[in-house]
Amino acid sequence: MKMLSVLASATALALGMAQAIAQDCKSPVPDSALVKKGTLLMSVNPTLPPMQFVDQNGQLKGMRVELGGMIAKRLCLKPEYVRIEFSAMIPGLQAGRWDVINTGIFYTEERAKLMNMLQYEDQAISISTTKGNPLKISKPEDLSGKSIGVEIGGFEERKARELDKALTDKGMKGMTIRTFENFAMAYQSLRAGQVEVALSIDSTAAEYQKRGEFDRVLHGLFPTPVALATKNKALADAMAKALNDMKADGSFQKLFDQYGVKPIDGEIVVRGPAG
Amino acid sequence: MAQGWNWSGFFDYLTNSYILGGAVTTLWLTLAAIVGGLVLGCALALARLSSFRWLSAPAHFYIWVFRGTPLLVQLIIIYTGLPQLGLRLSVVESALAGLILNEAAYLAEIVRGGILGVPAGQTNAARAVGFSGAQAMRYIVMPQALRLIVPALGNSVNGLLKTTSITSVISMEELLRRTQVLIQEKFMVLELFIVAATYYLLMTTAWDFVQRRIERHFGRAYSTTVSTPKPDTVLEQR
Repeated sequence: MKMLSVLASATALALGMAQAIAQDCKSPVPDSALVKKGTLLMSVNPTLPPMQFVDQNGQLKGMRVELGGMIAKRLCLKPEYVRIEFSAMIPGLQAGRWDVINTGIFYTEERAKLMNMLQYEDQAISISTTKGNPLKISKPEDLSGKSIGVEIGGFEERKARELDKALTDKGMKGMTIRTFENFAMAYQSLRAGQVEVALSIDSTAAEYQKRGEFDRVLHGLFPTPVALATKNKALADAMAKALNDMKADGSFQKLFDQYGVKPIDGEIVVRGPAG
Repeated sequence: MAQGWNWSGFFDYLTNSYILGGAVTTLWLTLAAIVGGLVLGCALALARLSSFRWLSAPAHFYIWVFRGTPLLVQLIIIYTGLPQLGLRLSVVESALAGLILNEAAYLAEIVRGGILGVPAGQTNAARAVGFSGAQAMRYIVMPQALRLIVPALGNSVNGLLKTTSITSVISMEELLRRTQVLIQEKFMVLELFIVAATYYLLMTTAWDFVQRRIERHFGRAYSTTVSTPKPDTVLEQR
């Protein structure tokens, strides 16, 4: 019993402290705009180093994870991440499972019809091979007849299919597209020789090349900004303000420089179904 | 954003040939895995029941390993791990190998249970009238064991039909993976997955019918609907 009362008072103390912190900082986001009170719940698929990944201790790391934390701090909310495969993200956002998709989702007009999107980072598509580029790939046409591994359900998969179509339209042999739950599995398959090339984003392909495991043989394909996405408009507006404040005080640029990633030019705006 | 249930979307996907192709893949994967699993499983069951330790110990070990680890882990090891040792199977081969090797371990235990379920007196009697060990197994034990095996076997086929969906992780394009591929098109999550569920249900239901027929076949001797001669007529015939 004594143990229990100690525990209870400790919990009360912790709660009190949490409340004290919350009181110091009033969130501009109403509770009704959030899935979980006082928390910014974000979904991430941590298989894209150095943007989003898990370290040896299972801790979430990476530029986008840090960015999410910085935004949450400015909104006086506690950042919390849900780790999940990309294919579940848009349905999950629509179903109210999390507040924000913070996994570097590529901006497309169709997606902006489904949810509020805040473009913030310039990305593009890369092609990786095993070390030494054994198939001597130097242009998209060299992908003809190759097997390609890609994450299912995203921009990357769609671009893989576009590359394939571009080849067959030219009368060349298409690619064999293999879809995996995430990029980690796609690269694992590349290492195992189950696919000949893997398609991912520039930053990740560059990181793997730096680690010396894979060569980035093509990059800068389909340059497109990536975005943060929300279902709630008020939350999106508050996040846009936080991001623009970060741009103004230089913390935004500093974070991007640290990872060698290019932020989008100009002000961050919300594009969504309403606007 | 799509709101509410969309019937026309549901029917579009229900008649979608890409999804149907996925269901066909699921079906043949199941059939191949059950046939392969049964052949290997029977061999394992007989080996495990053998009085030779050099036969029973490896079989026991095999069953221990494959029943003791998840199929998901086995598939990933086969697909992305074995190439490290120089053995590279294609996606289809990896999926089949994983399903067959895993299923065989379970089926071996089912077959073994069926064989042990036949009273030892049956074998003894067969041997007493001059049957060899193999003949006793083939003509006396197996027909009776099959009757015991079939219900559990049916359960396995039903389970296997659904388990094939796990092969999607190694990019096998079966029913689930094809459903996932189409999700991003319109985000009709509920409609698409209900379509997939419908296909799985259709296939498991069709199997139920087949299973019932097989059970009836092997249960003939015990069926009450088959007219058996009355004891007194048997006596009169003598």
